[in-house]
Amino acid sequence: MMCEFLKTCCTDPMKIIGEWLVLLPAIVLLLAAAASVVMRNLIHAALCLTLSFIALGIVFIALGAEFVGFVQLLVYVGAVAMILVFAILLTRPEQLTKSGTLFSGLGPAGGALAGFASLVVLLAFIFTSPVAKKPLPAPVSAPVAAIGEALMGDYVVALLLIGVLLTAALVGAAVLAMEDKKP
Amino acid sequence: MITLLERAPIEIKTWFLNLLGSFGVPEWILAVLSAGIIIGTIIGVFLGLFALMSVMERKILARAQNRYGPNRVGPFGLFQPVADGIKMITKEDLVPRTADKIVHFLAPVTMMIPALMVLAILPYGRDMVPAELDSGILYFFAVGAGTEVAVFMAGWSSNNKYSVLGAMRAIAQMISYELPLVISAIVTAMIAGSLSPSAIVAAQGGFALGFVPQWFALTPWGFAAGLIFYIGALAESNRSPFDLPEGESELVAGHLTEYSGFKYATFFMAEYVGMFAVCGLFVTLFLGGWQAPLPFLEIIPSWCWFIGKICFVAFTMVWVRATLPRLRIDHMLGFAWKFLLPMSFAAFLSAACWHYAGRGPLAWLLSLAIVGIPYLILGTSFTKRFAVSRRTYRFSE
Repeated sequence: MMCEFLKTCCTDPMKIIGEWLVLLPAIVLLLAAAASVVMRNLIHAALCLTLSFIALGIVFIALGAEFVGFVQLLVYVGAVAMILVFAILLTRPEQLTKSGTLFSGLGPAGGALAGFASLVVLLAFIFTSPVAKKPLPAPVSAPVAAIGEALMGDYVVALLLIGVLLTAALVGAAVLAMEDKKP
Repeated sequence: MITLLERAPIEIKTWFLNLLGSFGVPEWILAVLSAGIIIGTIIGVFLGLFALMSVMERKILARAQNRYGPNRVGPFGLFQPVADGIKMITKEDLVPRTADKIVHFLAPVTMMIPALMVLAILPYGRDMVPAELDSGILYFFAVGAGTEVAVFMAGWSSNNKYSVLGAMRAIAQMISYELPLVISAIVTAMIAGSLSPSAIVAAQGGFALGFVPQWFALTPWGFAAGLIFYIGALAESNRSPFDLPEGESELVAGHLTEYSGFKYATFFMAEYVGMFAVCGLFVTLFLGGWQAPLPFLEIIPSWCWFIGKICFVAFTMVWVRATLPRLRIDHMLGFAWKFLLPMSFAAFLSAACWHYAGRGPLAWLLSLAIVGIPYLILGTSFTKRFAVSRRTYRFSE
């Protein structure tokens, strides 16, 4: 087994690299997500979160879900991350430039406890849910046309409802931001 | 002969790889080399175009302003980019003491990566797409979103109020103009029935009546969507009249204020390469990609047409820069949300009606009406507020 691996390494290293390269964005994703939690500098945390969004998009692409990956990049990096950054810049200027990480005082212990507890609860739910007992469906590489047809055919009601919801949210935001004309 | 020229770039690459293969070079090295040759060629061509553009832009602006422009270095000042490059490299790289050093260093790099990556999906000629993606248009916009992060990083890490203000303006502008840009691009994808750039180019092939090219820009909805896309492209690449994020009269240089030396040059380069990329997408979506405008002109290779069209669109961008004054921030955002966005929806509807009315003369009229009426209503209501009246002076004649 090991011998065969080494042999492939010599004759066709691209194959090995291709197989192992999938892991790289996943590692980056985990590291960036962890960094975004522990960073004390809010802007650095936001940039790390953006990096984890990008890495997640690349993970999707590496797993064959091209469309989802691109939409992830477009929506999360292009819009969500930028709105996040705007919100940080517009709110608390004194908090922005603290250095170091959050590991000081009793906070981390409590955080770790809470995180561990929620992990246990989540895992318990995941493993007892009926979805977990179903066999995994075979991976499909759906072309964009098929996704589009599914969205506009079988799931058109859901799509339209989401459209109405988002429009309502947009109108609501505009109303909130509108200047009060009354004296 | 014609087909030989047409296929020349591909044939030369295949010949070179076959030559290496005959010397017993392993298969995987050839695969890496094959990709490397494509990447190297594209980067080389676009950096060459950037060098040419940096001198031609100044020449054209000078011509528009009735002066000479650069004419000292080399014949007609053509070696000006070399002089500029040497100047940029030898300049001191200043980093403010209070800057966030790491982010400050990473920003130009982050800016350059998406600018180069988006070049991968453009069809440069017949059968000449570096990365044939099923959702290429989506890839273009998804990767292009990285530019906004880079601009923010540059603006914030400089620890300078002008930088932050410039970055905030730039991001607001990019987010606002991305919407009409994407929607007008989606219109072409809807008509072509595919998100793949090569399929969209193929849908614009052929000639009506034997000589009229069937480019999307020559239909009512395509003309409207094309104009919206062009305006959005100007805004996305921070070009005049939308260059107010770095308006030198108010913000020094916006997010570029604290950059000097080669980092500044990297930003500059990324901006121009990004501009060429978005010009390339405009050509692909609306101007027929690599297709010749007239049947007898097909003797010129397709990749020449593509580069030529990009240069033409880039020239019009310089022309616009020489003509229009800079917009004010609230006018700019209002224009995007109150005019371009509704108009892009109108173009969307118009394209749908054009398709379902059979793509004939009737469909032509119908789609013209659907695009034209909102344009008239929105246009008159939009310009009414800026109606020009005779200015009256209170304290002077």
